[in-house]
Amino acid sequence: MVGQEVFAEALLSGMAEVFETMMFMSVEECNEMYEVIDGESLLSTITFKGAIEGCLGVSCNLNCAQTIARNMLGSDSEEAIPEEEVVDAMGEVANMVLGAVKARLTDSVGDIQVSIPSVVSGRELINSLGDGSYEVSKMVHIDEDAANITLLYRFTTQSH
Amino acid sequence: MSKTMLVVDDSATMRKIITRTIRKAGLPVADEILEAGDGNEALQKIEGKPVDIILCDINMPGMGGLDFVKKARTIDANKNTKIVMISTESDENLIASVKADGADGYVTKPFTPETIQKELAPFLQ
Repeated sequence: MVGQEVFAEALLSGMAEVFETMMFMSVEECNEMYEVIDGESLLSTITFKGAIEGCLGVSCNLNCAQTIARNMLGSDSEEAIPEEEVVDAMGEVANMVLGAVKARLTDSVGDIQVSIPSVVSGRELINSLGDGSYEVSKMVHIDEDAANITLLYRFTTQSH
Repeated sequence: MSKTMLVVDDSATMRKIITRTIRKAGLPVADEILEAGDGNEALQKIEGKPVDIILCDINMPGMGGLDFVKKARTIDANKNTKIVMISTESDENLIASVKADGADGYVTKPFTPETIQKELAPFLQ
């Protein structure tokens, strides 16, 4: 059975690839003891099934989400990006990060099929999968802001 | 002569990114780049008015990219249209399969402007 450290490495390196390539932003793991996601935030999730089943989530506060959307869209404007576009951008972030993670895990874990992302807003948002699941959760710095990325998964009969 | 283009992706953000990338790369594409949110909308857009190049996501609600390619290729008017898939899926078997179904090219997300330019350049001669 593939260890959690393999999933953690895939999660962090996949996220870094997406942010560096599409948003020109750096992602670095940080000490979560000293980091919290303050205030209203967005949680973007995308589920998957196959060799493993579960859910990947990316959450950050609205300010960080604005920065991500602005960089994705290449916007130079001082005006705030409309909420609808920020939500859409965050959904695409989860989609691309899971794609990058999948590419890193297919050889060791097996193939997975990916769903369509969804995004919710609120405070202290938490993702969960229930009994028998594993969780890899990392706090990261995306440039100046803190964000959380979580991979919840359980092995299936199709697992390598 | 500039080419007509349709970008198919359920994410409006991704459609904007692709359009911006093509513009920044200076590729010879018509002023208006058509957009569609899924395969069904894309088929409506090209009905009776085929375009030169279609960039299409795979994983979309409604009609996804795999079904869209198959359907688009059954329409005679689209036989010369170049279809390039853009997806987070990087599985070699899937890429071979979608090319066998009629796609001419494949770009994996995340992508750099150089990747888009390199993949599309042969179709924009």
